[in-house]
Amino acid sequence: MEFHDQNSFAILVVEDEPLLLMDAVDMIEDAGFRTYQARSAGTALALMERHDDIRVLFTDIDMPGSMNGIDLAARVRDQWPPTVILVTSGIVGLTKDTLPDGARFFPKPYSANHIIGTLARIAADLGRG
Amino acid sequence: MACPGEARDALSDPEAAVAILAPRGRDSEVARQVLENAGIAAVVASSLHQVAELVEARVGAVLITEEALNGPGSEALHQALAAQPAWSDLPFVVLANGANSRSDAATRRMDDLGNAILLSRPLHTEELVRSLRSALKARRRQHEARKRLEELQLREVQLFESEAKFQAIANSVDQMIWSTRPDGYHDYYNDRWYAFTGVPAGSTDGVAWNGMFHPQDQEMAWQRWRHSLETGEPYEIEYRLRHRSGTYRWVLGRAQPLRDKNGTILRWYGTCTDIHEIKIAEEQRQLMLGEMNHRVKNTLAMVNVMVSQTLRHADSLTEARAAIQSRIGMMADAHDRLINATWSETRITEAVEAALAPHRSEEGHFTITGPDLPIGSKQALALTMALHELATNASKYGALSVFKGKVRIEWSIEKRQGQELFHFEWHESGGPPVEAPTRRGFGSRMIEQALGGYFGGEAELVYDSAGLRFSLMAPLEGLTL
Repeated sequence: MEFHDQNSFAILVVEDEPLLLMDAVDMIEDAGFRTYQARSAGTALALMERHDDIRVLFTDIDMPGSMNGIDLAARVRDQWPPTVILVTSGIVGLTKDTLPDGARFFPKPYSANHIIGTLARIAADLGRG
Repeated sequence: MACPGEARDALSDPEAAVAILAPRGRDSEVARQVLENAGIAAVVASSLHQVAELVEARVGAVLITEEALNGPGSEALHQALAAQPAWSDLPFVVLANGANSRSDAATRRMDDLGNAILLSRPLHTEELVRSLRSALKARRRQHEARKRLEELQLREVQLFESEAKFQAIANSVDQMIWSTRPDGYHDYYNDRWYAFTGVPAGSTDGVAWNGMFHPQDQEMAWQRWRHSLETGEPYEIEYRLRHRSGTYRWVLGRAQPLRDKNGTILRWYGTCTDIHEIKIAEEQRQLMLGEMNHRVKNTLAMVNVMVSQTLRHADSLTEARAAIQSRIGMMADAHDRLINATWSETRITEAVEAALAPHRSEEGHFTITGPDLPIGSKQALALTMALHELATNASKYGALSVFKGKVRIEWSIEKRQGQELFHFEWHESGGPPVEAPTRRGFGSRMIEQALGGYFGGEAELVYDSAGLRFSLMAPLEGLTL
């Protein structure tokens, strides 16, 4: 399998629970990717504005504050259309309709291999594009 | 001459019989014979006293000679007549004494009888029979009228009792009861309705009831009620009804139509039952189930992180297994303490105790001081985890690994620039000299990178050679974020 340079782009990880955020970041960085991290949608949007190397948004849905992960995903889809959006949540009964087009959903708890495999494919697609 | 007492007893039907008092000669006997021949039962009295007795026995009519009215017992007769019930007007047929002029006393005696017909003598048989027949007939009419009247009175009493019974039932039950015309116009509410709502009687007649509902429930209630009126289907709804206190309480409303033989709706009868407590308990149960589900998921997520982090930093599977078991044990203990406290909040001493309990075997190591502040469940679990990591580390390498080692745990509320801050400290002393680790394990990373986030503050580890120090500084409200 041919890998695109995994360091040429970054993944924005959004999770309000500090330990889960730490673990998600560890998981992704252990696989050789660069990350930015945010604990709220507001911080996430500020990071999107500031860093144009973010190609992937990996966000939780259930977050405190005025904006949850679904709202965040929709805003990112509108403002930065090429961004690949990965959404995760422990909420039961969530349907694809509530997510922006093209967003992928991973129910919590997710498998690390599944997430890393997906990121590797995204890296490969970005390399070809 | 027959004894009147016996004669009276012999009369099977006194109301259809004539009492005769004609003391002179055989007049009484002749009259009785004449009447009997005409098919009219008659009984002969010997005095006004006996006539009075027969009046009391409800004889149908009296045939009496004018001169007999002047005899002894006139007072007894007068009393017997006065004692008649209102409906009774006993007819007398009086045989006149033939005098051209009558004394005032004689006239008064005649008037006292009330209903008297005067027949002149000599007696004419047909005249006598016809007079008494019509007297008895009039008397029978009186009895019939009385019977009708008594029936009506009985019905009225029954109606009154039935109404009283209905009111007693309708107003003693715990439910509100109402009733409407077939078109849905409310025209009855029991006392409970007025006691509950506190509105004046009659003020919710017609369609005004809808205004007593919570504004958010009014439209739905209208729709359901209209649907029931159109289809005749039973009405059932849960809504909030304004209580006299001004608050709204949950109520179960139900109504059924009463139909005639052809199925046409005559009236609607409805009830409202106060289900506020049940409803609130149910809401609380749902809330609690939701919270429990959330907690279990959260705990599993934490276990997931903890296992993955332990494996990430472990040198061997044996080491990893011991660390995972110890950490899960700590989480179970913390969970017990969180459950035993209220659902949303526990006390900080519980969180501290949960972490230190497994390390308490060496008494005298710990000094713990601080106010027993409320702390949110997430913060409590995070603090417990951090303290567990510190205590485990201290048991292996720090103050808890030697006999004279000490750990001072202290927390307080500090005021800085008008803001209240929560300050927590862990301070080891008397242990082996401390060196900063070359590699960060789960414990130190958890404290340095994650712990502060749970409190909206900052956590710090200081590897002072005299003893490890940990401090957490956060806004006071961060304890229960």
